[in-house]
Amino acid sequence: MIQFENVSLEYDPGRFAVRDVSFRIPSGAFTFLTGHSGAGKSSLLQLIARLVKPTAGSIKVGGIDFSNLKARHEPALRQQMGLVFQDNQLLYDRNVFDNIALPLVIGGYKYDDIKKRVSAALDRVGLAHKALDGPLSLSGGEQQRVGIARAVVARPKLLLADEPTGNLDADISADIMKLLMQFNSSGVTVLVATHDSGLLNNFDFPKLTIKQGRLVDVHPGTRQGSAARSRQAYTE
Amino acid sequence: MQKKVASRAAKPVNASARKGSAAGKQWTYGKRGYALAQSLRQFTQRKFSSLVTLAVLGITLALPALFLFSAQAVQQLASQNIDDESLTLYLRLEIADLDGAALAQTLLGKPGIQKTRFISRDEALATFQAKTDIGNALEALGDNPLPAAIVVYPVKQQADATAIKRLSKQLLALPQVQRVQYDLRWVQRLQAAVRLIQSVGWILAGFLTLTALLVIGNTIRLELLRRQPELDVAKLLGAGTSFLHRPLLYTGALYGFLGGLVGSSLAMYAFSKIKTPADQLSHLYSSTFQLQMPSASQFLTFLVVATVLGWLGAFITLYSPSRKLISPRRTGM
Repeated sequence: MIQFENVSLEYDPGRFAVRDVSFRIPSGAFTFLTGHSGAGKSSLLQLIARLVKPTAGSIKVGGIDFSNLKARHEPALRQQMGLVFQDNQLLYDRNVFDNIALPLVIGGYKYDDIKKRVSAALDRVGLAHKALDGPLSLSGGEQQRVGIARAVVARPKLLLADEPTGNLDADISADIMKLLMQFNSSGVTVLVATHDSGLLNNFDFPKLTIKQGRLVDVHPGTRQGSAARSRQAYTE
Repeated sequence: MQKKVASRAAKPVNASARKGSAAGKQWTYGKRGYALAQSLRQFTQRKFSSLVTLAVLGITLALPALFLFSAQAVQQLASQNIDDESLTLYLRLEIADLDGAALAQTLLGKPGIQKTRFISRDEALATFQAKTDIGNALEALGDNPLPAAIVVYPVKQQADATAIKRLSKQLLALPQVQRVQYDLRWVQRLQAAVRLIQSVGWILAGFLTLTALLVIGNTIRLELLRRQPELDVAKLLGAGTSFLHRPLLYTGALYGFLGGLVGSSLAMYAFSKIKTPADQLSHLYSSTFQLQMPSASQFLTFLVVATVLGWLGAFITLYSPSRKLISPRRTGM
């Protein structure tokens, strides 16, 4: 699903956000990307979402080689991914329904389809009764669930989450994790960047550990299927 | 930071506003409908600043509208047919009255001449004596020194300066004619003044149109900055350039259209105010010129031009080299 080969991202000469990183994440896997703040987790997610381009190496996502990807095709690529952010990035000038509908409007979905999909996504995150509310009237956990609903509403094959539980307490973080796992169980590849040790300890999924931009450890985890459990699957 | 910006710009949606259906109006979920809804929302959310911008645009566009609406009328004035415009042909002294009268009759059949009037030498002398104090002095000369004359009235439709000049040349070529006199100076002055006013007017209209373009461009620039969080999020969700820019292009077009509506309304008001004095002035010059209120097609043309202008102002802002300074940059991760 995701393949990095000797990827580097150098913002200024000698200042690397990501340095010579190689790994593979199999399709359908649930993977943590971990490391301290500033280790390069977000930069790595940005590289996968094609929000920045690597200064060296090659990236393949879903069989698409980024080195051959033209700028005009980047939006279509991003539509196939779901992005979840620490600060949820909701739009406060519209209600929950319209926030979740945005990726579908961008994707050119029909009105009836939008209604069905948004309602389904709201059901799955348990916020069907909040569809008409503004995001500011929701709690932090609810806002994050709206963010997740928005990320999955177009049924992406890949879900990237950047510190999705960063501002939430342990119970709500566990709820968010359960939601992400639900989507993973339906075949979505999930990559969660986090430095939340509680989360990492409680959910023993494969982990890629980044330090100063370098991949320093690959932990296979115990909660994935045989394909993902193998350390080899992540490194070959 | 983004959260703060968005919170400042937005108001929470009132849940009771849309009871019964979670989804909004169907048309707002299409790509173009969404863009239009976002543009309209900009007007409703910031009523005062939108009204001020529209007032500035309306006043700026009022003068170009006035010139567009009056273009036809002013053109008519510039090539105005002057009623009772005439040429006087002074005949050679040796031409007898009968021959002169016959020539006047002959000229009547020529193209471009509406009527002629023959003035014999005796009639000329009598008129001269009646109208001047030196009439008796002519008697002292013994012989009547005044020539016979034919007053030629051109056809009204051909009585512009160029046609009269051409006709006078033709008449001067006649062997019986000693001299042709016509006074087009005031007509020429009027036409020159009208042309000057036209030129100055169009230049001013050009400048004001450019001003309108800049006002719209600046408004779009501010709108782009204000909507930065939304654009950033949309970009992260896979929106392409056209999706990101379309609401702003629509906003520009809407500003142009509404500014055009205000501008043309102001121009119509100005028209109604100057129509009476303009018609009175025209009457004093025996002119057929009348200031006509703009037609529906002129009105629509102006609105279309103003709308395109608004769209163009937005387009230039979005696609100018400086757009990189204001286009979405945040990655959100």
